[in-house]
Amino acid sequence: MTDEQTETVEQSGTAQRIARFEQRRRDDAALSDEALKDRFWELCDQLVEPIVELARTHTSPSIERSVLLRMGIDSRTTHGVVDAVHAAGLLGKGAGHVVLKVAERDGLPIRAAAAAIATDPTVLTGLFGGRR
Amino acid sequence: MTAGDPRPGLGPLAENSKLDVEAVLTDLADYRPARKGWTWRDVPADGLDLGPFHYRDMAAPLRRGIGLPAAKYFDGVDPQPSCVITSEIASGRFEDDLRRMRMAAWHGADHLMVIRTTGQSHIDGLMEGTPEGTGGVPITRKQIRASRKACDLIEDEVGRPINFHSYVSGVAGPEVAVLFAEEGVNGAHQDPQYNVLYRNINMYRSFVDAAEAKRVMAGAGIFQIDGAHNANATARAGWLVLPELMVQHGLNCAFSVAAGLPKELIGLSTVPPNAPPAPKLWFDLPYAVALRDVFADYKMRAQQNTRYIEADVEEAIRTHTIDTLISMLTSADIQSTITPDEGRNVPWHYNNVRAIQTVKQTWAALDGIKELVSLNLSGPLGEMARDIKERAVGFLAEIIDAGGYFAAVEAGFFVDSARFPERNGDGIARSGAGGVAADTIVPRDPDYYAPVCDHFGANTLPEGVAKACDSIGGCTLCDPDKIVYLDELDPQDTAEQRLAATRDYRSGHLLRPEAEWAGDGVALVQLMIPDRAELAREAALAMARRMGLTDPEVINLQVLQPAEGCFVEVKGKVGFDIDKRQLTIPTPVVLLPEDELRAAVKTHEITVVAGTVGEDEHSVGLREILDIKHGGIEKYGVRYRYLGTSVPLAKMVDAAIETGAQAILISTIISHNDVHRAMMTKLAELCTERGIRDRVVLIAGGTQVSRDMAAETGLDATFGRGTTGIQVVDAIVTSLRARGLIDG
Repeated sequence: MTDEQTETVEQSGTAQRIARFEQRRRDDAALSDEALKDRFWELCDQLVEPIVELARTHTSPSIERSVLLRMGIDSRTTHGVVDAVHAAGLLGKGAGHVVLKVAERDGLPIRAAAAAIATDPTVLTGLFGGRR
Repeated sequence: MTAGDPRPGLGPLAENSKLDVEAVLTDLADYRPARKGWTWRDVPADGLDLGPFHYRDMAAPLRRGIGLPAAKYFDGVDPQPSCVITSEIASGRFEDDLRRMRMAAWHGADHLMVIRTTGQSHIDGLMEGTPEGTGGVPITRKQIRASRKACDLIEDEVGRPINFHSYVSGVAGPEVAVLFAEEGVNGAHQDPQYNVLYRNINMYRSFVDAAEAKRVMAGAGIFQIDGAHNANATARAGWLVLPELMVQHGLNCAFSVAAGLPKELIGLSTVPPNAPPAPKLWFDLPYAVALRDVFADYKMRAQQNTRYIEADVEEAIRTHTIDTLISMLTSADIQSTITPDEGRNVPWHYNNVRAIQTVKQTWAALDGIKELVSLNLSGPLGEMARDIKERAVGFLAEIIDAGGYFAAVEAGFFVDSARFPERNGDGIARSGAGGVAADTIVPRDPDYYAPVCDHFGANTLPEGVAKACDSIGGCTLCDPDKIVYLDELDPQDTAEQRLAATRDYRSGHLLRPEAEWAGDGVALVQLMIPDRAELAREAALAMARRMGLTDPEVINLQVLQPAEGCFVEVKGKVGFDIDKRQLTIPTPVVLLPEDELRAAVKTHEITVVAGTVGEDEHSVGLREILDIKHGGIEKYGVRYRYLGTSVPLAKMVDAAIETGAQAILISTIISHNDVHRAMMTKLAELCTERGIRDRVVLIAGGTQVSRDMAAETGLDATFGRGTTGIQVVDAIVTSLRARGLIDG
């Protein structure tokens, strides 16, 4: 395809988009301001719904470090813990959960358990029913 | 002083003492914020009576503050706008910013916003300590704790809560949110779209993190501001992207509510998108109207326009005045101010204050404007507002057609500079597989557990655990004593080290001018150079060097006429110190009590003769000194004989002899060729020749006259601008007493 042809295709795409918008606008012309506003919020809610679901069911290193901070673990140690938990494939359990498990298993306070994980990730072996 | 004392080591601030920054940095490990959460201003529903006026839309006055310059004509009133006022303060050295925060608060700011150092949004984790920043401040626990402590002291001083604010964005959003919640930060920017579009952070990571951050902010009552306004600051023609702005605001609002933020904690960051010479109102007003209609449940944080402001401070102030007018014609819960020098340098102390004054002055002038004028929504304004809303709805519908938000970002829907549905193809496209921290989100297992409060999303509490943090005996949000305070990681780059280098300028004997940092020596020189721009620029630099400024730089040049000349502003550095101990400060004159003056005047029947002398027809100033109506000497019982204008000195002296006046008052405005000095000297000589010098008090006044001219001209007292009758009566009585002519 030549450059000229590409441009023509894009132009027709743009023309279609504009036509679609103009059609929508004609359809919405009868809507009161209040109804138009409701439509705006329905569409926003519809768009964020799958994103909220993604957030509800996923976590991230920063979320897990933020959990550890709330457990009273200093910011430097949170990095070591999350890196070790991630490497062990256990981030989906929750890093705080992992620290808690180590603390319970080894009879350690929370901070000591976190320090142990950051120093020596092998303490994670066997946690959660033998999974690495 | 006990542990947990909210202000260890620091008492209340004293008006005439500097903030002791070293003391603020002391004992931070035990410091706890005085309160948490956002605070609005206290606005009396029935309005407010201040001085001679009734105000309709003003907040409770400050305990201590500084009013507008003209306030002295209105009983010193300092009306405070009903909206919260923001000042952005981030010079790179937060320890120097603390003093600026105090200055800003005294002028009426109660929302102090700290911009982060360049690149912090890409740091995957918290920073610690107090390293120096660039274009902002490294946000750390120590920096926040010290700043919040300073804000706690300042709010006690001015008598109004200070909202402290920074940014919960970047790849460490959830951690920063927890830090802010723990340390009592009151407001924060949080908008995952900003990360994606402007910081190229992976879109999935950005949104997953944002939900957690927003939930934490909700728990701590932190007010959220979004980042949509960056689209009209980035797009080539900011006024065309209005439908998209609504879409960005809408998506962040909907997502925030879903994450648990109450609507009253959600603010839209909105900027009037245009600036003169554009016909600003035809773009900005319909947009403001449409936005406030669609987002009626949310708060408006009105920002001032920065897109078209460069070097001219006055141009910025004029545009910001109109921006504030738009806020008042529509609404603003928070009025942000932009320092008028932002386009030419990192903001300077006094420009924060000038920006606040712009809002304060406009708000006072237009107080209650909506009771006087209303927007005509039945005309083009209503049609234009409707058009923006329809386009925004069309934009949203097209995102759904494209397969949802993430697909639309990949297709470059956002920050395209054309007006929807037109498109220029210059939007910012991001790939879901790319960006900073791509591929870092992890699905939560069915037994995922986070044993803390304010956590968003799936959280499977173990059996028997009712509250998430019960299994650890409480999290830091429930028990602040669990927070771990780290001081410094790099002992070579700390606030304490920087402070040690500037101590002499802050608490010692030395003075240098200061724009941003203690002892920076920055000075601004304003010049009119009567030549063409190319020459004027070089000449200005040469002049600044000859004045002794180092590193001179032209930061503004306005052509007045291509051949006749330019206005040039040059900044440079002063390389010397002034030792305060070597300065002589004039002794302040202490006036006799009013009653004592009246009694002396009455007992001795003091009379004076007065007039303007020389070829001088200006009599307004003298009449104010004489007349009872203006609080002149008549008010204190002095009888005067006014001889008129352009009175020959000999006639003044004759009149004094004839009436037995104890004093002669002359006024002289014209100062060409020092004619005022000549008149004053001649009066003294004439009185000596006529043998009355020892029994009359000789006083002169005028706009070019100063207090120290009395000695050089042989008069008893001389007065300049702003003099009042009582000062003149005091001078007469004091002089007569000193000569033993009257008792007392």
